[in-house]
Amino acid sequence: MTNQDNADVIVVGTGIVGCLVAEQMLDAGLSVLMLEAGPRVDRWRIVENFRNLPPTLRLHFDAPYPPKPWAPHMESYSDATAAEYLQLEGPNARAYRQGYVRYAGGATWHWAGICWRLTPQDMRLKSLFGVARDWDFDYSTLEPYYTRAEYAIGVCGPSDPALQWPPIRSKPYPMGPLPFGPGEQRFTDAAARLGLKNVPAAQARNSRIAYDGRPPCCGNNNCIPVCPIAAKYDAATALPKIEAKGGQILANAVAYRVETGQKNAIEAVHYFDPDKLSHRVTGKVFVLACNGIETPKLLLLSKNDRNPNGVANSSDQVGRNMMDQPKLVAELTTAEPVWTGVGPVQGSSVMQTSQGDFRGRHGGALFRFNNMARSTFGAVAAVRKGLVGKALDAEIRRLSACTAELTIEHELLPDPNNRLTLSNKKDWLGINKPNIYYDVGDYVRRSATEYSVPLVRKLAVELGATDIQVSTEFTNSDHIMGGTIMGANSASSVVDLDCRAHDHPNLFLPGGGAMTTGGCGNSTLTMAALALKAADAIAAQIKRS
Amino acid sequence: MANSQNLLYWLLLAVAGSAWAAISHADEVPADSAELVIRGGYLAKAADCGACHTAPGGKPFAGGLAISSPVGTIYSTNITPSARYGIGRYAAEQFARALRRGVRPDGANLYPAMPYTSYAIFTDDDVHALYSYFMRGVTPVESPGPRTELSFPMNIRASMIGWNLLFLSKGPLQPDPRESDAWNRGRYLVQGAAHCSACHTPRGFLMQEQRGQALAGGQVGAWYAPNITSDVNSGIGSWSQEELVQYLRTGDARGKAQAAGSMGEAVEHSFQYLTEADLNAVATYVRTVSAIRDPGDESSRFAFGHASSDLGRLRGKSGIRTDAGDASGAELFQGNCASCHSPLGQGSKDGYYPSLFSNSALGSRNPNNLIATILNGVDRTTSARQAYMPGFAGGPHDLAALTDQDIIRLSNYLIERYGRPGVVVTAAQVAEVRRGGPSSSLIALARAGVAAAMIALLLVIFVAVKKRKITR
Repeated sequence: MTNQDNADVIVVGTGIVGCLVAEQMLDAGLSVLMLEAGPRVDRWRIVENFRNLPPTLRLHFDAPYPPKPWAPHMESYSDATAAEYLQLEGPNARAYRQGYVRYAGGATWHWAGICWRLTPQDMRLKSLFGVARDWDFDYSTLEPYYTRAEYAIGVCGPSDPALQWPPIRSKPYPMGPLPFGPGEQRFTDAAARLGLKNVPAAQARNSRIAYDGRPPCCGNNNCIPVCPIAAKYDAATALPKIEAKGGQILANAVAYRVETGQKNAIEAVHYFDPDKLSHRVTGKVFVLACNGIETPKLLLLSKNDRNPNGVANSSDQVGRNMMDQPKLVAELTTAEPVWTGVGPVQGSSVMQTSQGDFRGRHGGALFRFNNMARSTFGAVAAVRKGLVGKALDAEIRRLSACTAELTIEHELLPDPNNRLTLSNKKDWLGINKPNIYYDVGDYVRRSATEYSVPLVRKLAVELGATDIQVSTEFTNSDHIMGGTIMGANSASSVVDLDCRAHDHPNLFLPGGGAMTTGGCGNSTLTMAALALKAADAIAAQIKRS
Repeated sequence: MANSQNLLYWLLLAVAGSAWAAISHADEVPADSAELVIRGGYLAKAADCGACHTAPGGKPFAGGLAISSPVGTIYSTNITPSARYGIGRYAAEQFARALRRGVRPDGANLYPAMPYTSYAIFTDDDVHALYSYFMRGVTPVESPGPRTELSFPMNIRASMIGWNLLFLSKGPLQPDPRESDAWNRGRYLVQGAAHCSACHTPRGFLMQEQRGQALAGGQVGAWYAPNITSDVNSGIGSWSQEELVQYLRTGDARGKAQAAGSMGEAVEHSFQYLTEADLNAVATYVRTVSAIRDPGDESSRFAFGHASSDLGRLRGKSGIRTDAGDASGAELFQGNCASCHSPLGQGSKDGYYPSLFSNSALGSRNPNNLIATILNGVDRTTSARQAYMPGFAGGPHDLAALTDQDIIRLSNYLIERYGRPGVVVTAAQVAEVRRGGPSSSLIALARAGVAAAMIALLLVIFVAVKKRKITR
């Protein structure tokens, strides 16, 4: 029986990882209690929040998700608000303004739905190129979980292996690919003239048919910041399914301490409600699924006599190796219309550029034509020119059609110096805010100067650009990885190969934090695969005991 | 299209024929039986046997589908040729009697959830074809379905004998020589296999189809099967032959109506498989069904409304409204519906998303189909495509959990802006559709009748006892 203070499995976090684990546990006949720091909000209210935003706020993807006082997240619309919660320092502090929302459903609310897998090479950087770490299992171990994750969330993708990335699969995608919009097709053609293949992205978005009760994509082109019809998977769609299976979800429950007991096993999780009252929940197994920032924060907050560096931190690796894909963007003006905006906001990338022998010296990069409609950019720019009337209308149309954006996402290596610690600054509940030091490192900088920026300029010219502005400051991709890094060696990693904490037999930390290396693509599908691998281990462990 | 449909039919014939040849014994059956089985299979499609006798995800014709009726839940039975659990032991005459008279070989009566009052007009030839198909073209499934156990007094199957005496009147039809072959074929299909009246003819107090009200519209569970007589205002008198055929084949007549609920199932499981000639025959006949006008219908339900929106009034206010309380109908529409049906309600250019104006669900005087669509969504798959709309009732697979009050505000907004002025959705209507439709007063009345008799009996005993006490 699940009640509000005990269950077989306590899951902290209701994002994609927490929800996948919860569903697996319920299917295995175990009781589940989920704690979510933030509120649970109806999709249509978020959609209306978004549509009521003034144009200048629309590009801030967290804007339709105002944080609750007890569950702050970064608000990106100004430097001042952005500095409120995440405390950032280091040469590339700006590049770690990670946009995740503390809402039931988590950051998948505003992801683009892109589901790249790592390649076998991405998992063996040390052996192949002498940099970073190897994963302690290989691609073939992860592959069945990738496939299960694709079927769990509904991923569409091409059936032609020549268009798959990587084309090493045990089963076809559950759905066929979405077609390219005209802008993406132009970019694909331009890349092909340079000998590069722009391939359809595997994406958790329904193509032509309903999947798991969610309708097919109808091309609203605002996957970011919210799919208004849930054609894109987000974990909010999993919440009622979890409840229908008997799972219990407590929103506005801010976990702030993990309690250890005999044999250093986890005894309980403590949380605050919005009235600042503390509650304690107990279970057999505890899963912290708050991704690479909130999970290490919670572990560090939980230090006690037995675990003086924080829970799960005998290796001193909790909070280290913070990763993302540092991003640069090229803003283009073209003579002829490019026509972005038909279909989802992202639908393809050049992926072959993420691989190569150069990885001993610098990181790989992916190149993406951003398919977000340019009307917002065009309107803001045209208004700023002071135009009115027909001239304004004409300029909005021209800028919407004849501008485009190419994105470069770089591969970053795990570096222990890129580190999350607890800030002395406290939030509304009196909980320490996270502080992160971040330097993208020479591996990324060399990639940009020697490799990716010259190549993006060639792509832009080939696309017909008459003006090219490449950003010079790296920015965040919101792909948080590394804070609870995985490995077989308990001296140099936080979790084992099932995402179980080396220090605590009943504590699991699946998700992006566990990723040993990150590659160039979105980390979400790897997080989901690790969640399913952990779920198998948890179910087996509870059955044994 | 016609050619491809016919081609499909003959291909099916060929494939099914070879499949049948593989499982049958050539020395036991006459040479023409393969085609007989195929014809029976086609008739089983036309009669939509699978709609009820196949459970979702279950084996074909193995039964087990729960059919909620106003008198309780009826489970469909296994009609595969399994000797133990199905109809494998039925002789041809017994099969015919069950199909056309609603009587099982053991003499027990079927409930009229099985539309035997319609199937009563099946010709002997067609019954024979159906029998051949069910005995030889269907794979036996060796498992029993759940038993139907209605509450008292509906559990007394013999009560159907009286019901049949009253309401089972039809026998085979005589062709009308004044009408075309297509019309006669259409009448045979509409009144028989397609059993249109089972839903579209209103039911009377004893759940019988009302005489004189043929196809004038009736409530079926959560959905309202509207008037499909030839009346221009109340029925489908404004539809062209092509529109009707298109609707039957795809469930979509653009700018008029889209099939959902039981009609969506009928299109998916039955009509889309009929030949172009049969669909035309159905349309030919339906367009001649005697017009019945609902006195309140001063104009057609397909012709209300136009593209418009309240966006100008809604947008530009202070941005964030996450915690705002009850939303207006306009906000609910923009947040839940407009992303597919467009902010102006005109649907999509390709017609995948229907317009909300010129739409039967919003133009009808009975708003139940609008409510049922919002609550239950639409899921209708034809060879052309899947037409899909999620529900908004708060189920595990629904897109939202709208409350009854949300649905009242949303429906009334939609009707006012895109539908028939003056129609008002009430809390009672929303609650009833959410429950799955009205329940019959029959049980309550029958039970009340029995209770009254019991009370009378008790009174008699009481009086008798008192008398004895007094006399003692």
